[in-house]
Order: sequence, then structure tokens, then C-alpha cells
Amino acid sequence: MKKLVSTVVGFAFTLSVGAIAHAQAPTDPQIVGIVQTANRIDISQARLALRKSTNPQVKEFANQMISDHTALEKSVSDLANKLGVKEEPSDTATQLKQQAAEETKKLSALKGKDFDREYASHEIAYHQAVIDAATSTLIPNAKNAELKSALQGAAPLLQGHLQHAQQLQQSLQGGSSSGR
Amino acid sequence: MRRVNSTRIPKPQADRPAIAGSRAARGRCVVIAAALLIAGMCCFAAQAPTSSSQQVVVIKQMHFDPSTLNVKAGDTVEWKNEDIFSHTVTANDGSFDSGLIAPGSSWRTTIRKTGSIAYHCRPHPNMAAELIAQQGAAHGQHEHGGTQDEEHGQGSLRWSPPKKPDEIHPILVNFTAALLPLALLSDLLGRLFRRPGLHAAGAWIMVYEAAITPLTVLAGWWWKSAQPNQLPAKLITVHQWLGTGAALLFIVLAAWRWRFHNRAVPPSWTYLAVALVALVALIYQGSLGGAMVFGQ
Repeated sequence: MKKLVSTVVGFAFTLSVGAIAHAQAPTDPQIVGIVQTANRIDISQARLALRKSTNPQVKEFANQMISDHTALEKSVSDLANKLGVKEEPSDTATQLKQQAAEETKKLSALKGKDFDREYASHEIAYHQAVIDAATSTLIPNAKNAELKSALQGAAPLLQGHLQHAQQLQQSLQGGSSSGR
Repeated sequence: MRRVNSTRIPKPQADRPAIAGSRAARGRCVVIAAALLIAGMCCFAAQAPTSSSQQVVVIKQMHFDPSTLNVKAGDTVEWKNEDIFSHTVTANDGSFDSGLIAPGSSWRTTIRKTGSIAYHCRPHPNMAAELIAQQGAAHGQHEHGGTQDEEHGQGSLRWSPPKKPDEIHPILVNFTAALLPLALLSDLLGRLFRRPGLHAAGAWIMVYEAAITPLTVLAGWWWKSAQPNQLPAKLITVHQWLGTGAALLFIVLAAWRWRFHNRAVPPSWTYLAVALVALVALIYQGSLGGAMVFGQ
């Protein structure tokens, strides 16, 4: 039942971010703002996972998210500085933050295996949503060729995280079924 | 002046070998020259670079490049992480795992089996690549590729008679490697405990060594001719000539040792010293063989 709820929530989240990203054509400064916001959200939630989870796999995943998204954030920041693009707020970035705040509140209330499962489930939905938004909105609307190329280059990283999160979820499900 | 020791039980004063005049002296010179030759070859071999090659896979922009790399068993493969993210090099079958390789760092491993070795990055499972390891010096008898070699790599318990040189040589090497130290040990213990029986054993074992080692060498040469260009060139050149030299030296040592045996006297310290040099050469020879079979 919990798995079903998580899946439904994740699906709703995907639709929501996708719909936001589709709603308007972002400018390059807004694209940079959206990407950096997405990075910071994932880092923040990974830090929460490090604090709350005791599962080594979850901690390993969270550490990897912090490491990778910090590197990606720096990479985007360096590129933006080089291009003279200053990140700007957008409705999409604002919505992302609101959704993240809700998810953080939800995660904060959970403990143990429930937290681990929700975190893994959310990471799947989150990365899928970001991949969809990047593919359908951010990359096509990026005016600067280098920015477009950088976004295309980040896609395999997000895809890798998605698969890693899916493996984590399977592992957590396997552990719960054998443990009961 | 001729000095003959007819005492059968070794005594302290009888430890000097009863060598007959200039003929014996010439024989000793020949053996010492042979020992020096072996020692010289060791020095030459020690300077010879190893020929197992090193190959490089670059990790960049979430990819292993090249995604398929042909290597030989015994080769060392290095992964250089030129990406901005940390990655791992993790064999799908669990045979190796680098742990996280930080950006700008690298990790290397020596490939010890043949066939297709698929690997991936643990934190980014979409990063996948493979090594295709051909048989090198290490796996001469493993001629099949693909997943079957996983079994070969782990060793089969099924026994079949050795037919190929790369099966026969490693078997004979065991005898060559064991008999010389045993012969030397028997003589040293014989001197220590003054036991003629141990000296007799030392003489006979040295004869066995001289008889078996040429077969070992022949099997080695057969291996090389059967699989040209598949063994590391410089290593095999040193190995084959050092082996051949050792076989000849062992024959000389056995003849020399047999003379002491016929006179029922303990072997001289000179003989024992030459045998010790031969043993050091043999150990080095074994390390060369091991380097070719198991990599560096």
C-alpha cells in the first residue's frame, strides 16, 4: 500500500514538474536558475537522508548525490560565469522549491525503513521529472550553444542517478520482503 | 702433489675435497665459469623491462572510453577519471571493484582471466563497458572466448592428461624447482650432522635434477614455438636462455657431485657454493615464469 502511495505521489510529482516546465519557454538565465535549484534541492534532501537513515546503501546513494550534484552545480556555475549569464528566478524554480519543501516535510516525519523507501521512491520520481523537463523544455529552449551542450552532457548523469535510485528501491524492497 | 682421502666417514679434516690435480682444477674452473654465466644472465634479466603492456581507459563525460577494450591476460589496465564526477570500475561478476575513483585520479588492475569481462560504474549503472581478454601468457591453454572462460578463470576440477606444452612445462617445473634445493639441503644437513646417508641423497637428487630439467626446458621451448608472439617477448627470451643454461649447469653439477659420491666423500664447499648460486638463479627463473603466467 505504501509502495502504491509512493508511486502515485511520484507520478503526480513528475506530471507537475513536467507541466511547469512546459508552461513557458524559459530564458537562458532562467534555465541556469532552474538547473541550479534542482541541484541544490537534491543535495539538501541527500543531506537529510544522511542525517536520518541508518541504511548503508541509502547513505552511499545520498553521498553520491551530494558529490555529483555539487560537482554539477559548480560546473554550471563556472559555465554561467564564463558566459556572463546570471541565474534568474522563474515560476518553475519557485514551484520546484515549494514541492521540495513539501517533500522535505514529509521525509522529516518518517523514520527507518519508511524513510528509506520514501527517499528512494522520491529520488526516482525527482530524477525522472528533471530528465523529462531537461529533454522537453530546458535543452530545446537553451539559446546558448555551450549551455545547450552542457545540459545535454548532464543528461547521462541524471539517467545514471535514476537507475541507481531504482536499484536502491529494489534492494530496499528485497530487504523488507526477506526480513518479514 | 696428490692427496687422496679414503675415509668414508666425513671428518673435519676430510672436508676438503680430494680433487685430482690439474684436471679437477680445470673442472672446477668450468663450473665456476658456468656459475658466473648464470649470475651474469640474472643481472641482465634483472635490468630487462617487463613486457606485459599497460592499456588505458579514460572516464569522461559519463562514459568509459573505449567502451570495448581488447587486452591480453597479464596486461595491466588503467582507468583515468577525467570526469568531474567520482566513478567506480566494478566488474559485473564481482571479480574487481575499484571503489570510488575521484576526479583526476586513476586506478589500475591486472587482468588475470580471458573472455569478456563486463564492468560498470556502481553509482551510475548506465555507465557500462567491457574488456575482451585474449589468452596471453597466462592462459595459453584457454583458447575459448566468451562467458565459458569464467569457468576457466576459476579453474576446473576435471582432470585430463597433460598433452600441450603449456600444461606439461608447469608440471615439470615443480620437479626442477624442488629437487635442487633438496639436493643442497641434504648435503648441508649431511655436513652438519656428518651423515653419509644424507650426502648419498644429495648426490642422487642432483642426478634426478640433471635428468629432469632438460625435459622441463624442452617443454618450455615447445611452448614458445607452439605459441609464438603470445608470450612477453623480453621475458621469454631471458627465461628460455636462463633455463637452458641452468639445465646445462645442473648436468655439470650432477657429474661433479657424482665424483664426490664415488669417492664417498662429502661435496666440497666450492660445489655447495656453486649449487647455491644455481639455486638463486633458479628462484629468479621461477619468478620470471610466474610473472609471465600471473602478470606483474
